[in-house]
Amino acid sequence: MSITALRLAAGLVLALALGACSGPGPQFTILSGSENDILEPMVQEFCQSRRATCTVKYQGSLDIALALKAGNDPQADAVWPAASIWIDMFDTARRVKSVKSIAQMPVILGVKRSKAQALGWIGAKVTTKEILAAVEGGRLKFLMTSATQSNSGASAYLAMLAAGIGKPDLIEAGDLDKSEVLATVRGLLRGVERSSGSSGWLADLYREGERTGARYEAMWNYETVVKEANDKLIADKKEPLYAIYPEDGVSMGDSPLGFVDRGRGKEVEGFFTDLQAFLLKGETQARIAATARRVELGRAAPLKADATTNLDPSRALTVVRPPEPAVIQKALSLYQEALRRPSLTALCIDVSGSMKGHGEAQLLEAMRFLLTPARTREVLVQWSKEDRIIVLPFSDRVLWMETAGGDESAQADLLGKTLQLRAEGGTDFYTCGARALTAMKPLLDAGQHLPAIVIMTDGKSQGAMTTFEAAWRADGRRVPVFGVTFGDDADRSQVDNLAKLTGGRVFDGTKSLTQAFRAVRGYN
Amino acid sequence: MAISRRAFGIGLLAASAAGTGGYVYLRQHPEIAGRFGEPKRLSGFAGGEKEGFLANTRVRSLLERRFGLILDARRAGSVEMVRERTLLDQKPQFLWPSSSVLVELARNSGVKISRDQVIFNSPIVLYSWDRIADGLVKGGFAEPAGGPRYTVDLLKVLKAIIAGETWEAMGVGGLFGRARVVSTDPNKSNSGFMFAGLVASLLSGDVIALDSLGRIDGEVATVFRRMGYKPPSSGKLFDDYVAGGAGAQPLIVGYENQLIEWVLQDAERWKRVEASAPSKPVILYPRPTAFSAHPLISTDRAADELIDALVSESLLELAWEEHGFRGPLGTIGKARNTLLQSRLIERVDQVLPMPDAPVMMALLDRLATA
Repeated sequence: MSITALRLAAGLVLALALGACSGPGPQFTILSGSENDILEPMVQEFCQSRRATCTVKYQGSLDIALALKAGNDPQADAVWPAASIWIDMFDTARRVKSVKSIAQMPVILGVKRSKAQALGWIGAKVTTKEILAAVEGGRLKFLMTSATQSNSGASAYLAMLAAGIGKPDLIEAGDLDKSEVLATVRGLLRGVERSSGSSGWLADLYREGERTGARYEAMWNYETVVKEANDKLIADKKEPLYAIYPEDGVSMGDSPLGFVDRGRGKEVEGFFTDLQAFLLKGETQARIAATARRVELGRAAPLKADATTNLDPSRALTVVRPPEPAVIQKALSLYQEALRRPSLTALCIDVSGSMKGHGEAQLLEAMRFLLTPARTREVLVQWSKEDRIIVLPFSDRVLWMETAGGDESAQADLLGKTLQLRAEGGTDFYTCGARALTAMKPLLDAGQHLPAIVIMTDGKSQGAMTTFEAAWRADGRRVPVFGVTFGDDADRSQVDNLAKLTGGRVFDGTKSLTQAFRAVRGYN
Repeated sequence: MAISRRAFGIGLLAASAAGTGGYVYLRQHPEIAGRFGEPKRLSGFAGGEKEGFLANTRVRSLLERRFGLILDARRAGSVEMVRERTLLDQKPQFLWPSSSVLVELARNSGVKISRDQVIFNSPIVLYSWDRIADGLVKGGFAEPAGGPRYTVDLLKVLKAIIAGETWEAMGVGGLFGRARVVSTDPNKSNSGFMFAGLVASLLSGDVIALDSLGRIDGEVATVFRRMGYKPPSSGKLFDDYVAGGAGAQPLIVGYENQLIEWVLQDAERWKRVEASAPSKPVILYPRPTAFSAHPLISTDRAADELIDALVSESLLELAWEEHGFRGPLGTIGKARNTLLQSRLIERVDQVLPMPDAPVMMALLDRLATA
């Protein structure tokens, strides 16, 4: 063989080898808790180094768990909820493998510093029982994620429940049948000023409240999210949150990252293994520890304690032992059906002409889900008897208005009436929102319910935002507006403005209206 | 050179015979089969404590290159893998639980066993933290065994737990609430399963038999109820232990090999822990304890040769040196690791045999409904 031929052959081999090395990595999807969004740049950094396209979809831990139930397709290659107990409880077919904890995150109570001062909690040892007493005495209100959608809410709830029972180290079967315990916890959850399905969003709500003057007092959240919120509050020259670590025990999220085996082959699994190893190597763990997460023994030094905010990721904690899965299930059902602060929800549903066909069918299917207890119970968003539901179908005017309780027969009546709706006419959700406020007023004044207006729409509203805004301001700015958009021509901007004004949120219902509805339920 | 037709025919016949003979020979000698042809892919379930061993690149490479085997081993609890329909319906070609009793349970679940053999052994131990172990010594529950290792009077600890004693009362300061020891879920995972057998035998005063079960099952249930949530796999429980620290996981049940493996995975980290961690992991050897055998169950003839591969000397040495699994007879391997020498006990005395399968089944049923 000539030298030229040899060179050519060698060049070809080299080009093939390089091509093999630098080929694009896989398309990879991770279902993650919202508290991990601050870690996403590290994930993306790794993905870019491998020329892989990574998508991180944020969901509540319980939603992630439900996606793992036998028969469901999680549509993801990896799951990263806040605590592994949810994987263990719901992944009965063991599709998730190679689960490793990336960090440890205790759920603590962040209290506005001046409030903590007023309660005598600066530098003091505070127990969950004392927090309970402050809430019962009307001296403290807090934000907390929904216990049936998010791990931080479930953790805070279980810790309060255990303290209410008087056995902070463990809730056992049988403890939940005592009426005095339930009364205590119901009283405690009256302290919930706002709820959400996402711990990250809850922290944003707290900060937004400082900016708009809504001024919340405290929130249950991960130590790391409290730190993150504080960094932003301090940058905005606002008062930071003071960290309360209950002496009698805190719940700990272990942030597990696991591979979902969907038969996508060796390359995808290998990519996952390398991603996990990247997140666990010393250098990355040091960056993770800098976000106030606690990392495994000896992996990296924890963030230093801060006396002003009392945040101290190196502080040794007594950890509340999670109860048995059956006890957790029972506790969550109790929360949803009996203990949480009852909700007052006005559903403004768009039945304008543009909804004809697919939109109308989707809408009615979503209402069928929302008002069928057997279906809502499956995913823990069922209504309780104390809840109040107001349905207001609208086009360019409100067609009718019906108020019902959350018991099964009332829901059935409401559904029966709703299913007769047919789409026609123009669109005006501002007027519908204002009408909803008027209808909600008597119950709002009693102060027992957690209110929300949900506007489901596929398009633009005629009329003016001031129609709603004036009524909302006059009513004491108490009710958040949530938007659910769907249909091909959905325009989010108008509902976005309403959500922004009122401290609500807009959900995309174009892929699954039912999913969007379930998400909204976490917020009231 | 020209070849006659006759010579060509004989040559062809000889080559064919050699090929067949070679094939038969290679089948009988799996250790060299891997050098030829396509490797064989096998899928099945293995207990979480063996996940590190199975993920070890040297193990995978030896299995593939020398034995022609590529494993897809998913983590599953030892007990659930031999009983749960959702797992068995996935038609695993092998099951690798962590106790010989489970071979019997697999058979009872209708699993067709082609071959089974114990690959290695590991004693059941308790993991704790130096300050907690020192408290237990002070309280009269444990004894130092030279170096940072301890033996623990398991019956005495169990009685204190059943009586609802606080950590404080047992001599351990700084921990809130009542004492507990946490194992995996006995209905899913072997370490919890074996611990249930051990607890039952200890409380009854002898290896537990069916007729004496009723006398102590309430107390066994109390020990398990006090644990709260029990993870489905020992690998996860151990991860929780090292990640959570003394406040989260004061006392857990595990296999001896788990700390060894954890230390060897990252020796530098271990040196940092030994030098500066506020609490350091320690092993407490229960007296008496039970040995966890790890039998590989082949449910498909294709997986039979996996057994021969795993008991080969090279893989058994790797199992000890890098993952801390003792050999099939409970003996430690040739190599001694200086990082861990002062923490391990060479010979484990006072070993209780596991109760029979029917007794364990009855006990599990009672624990599931307790």
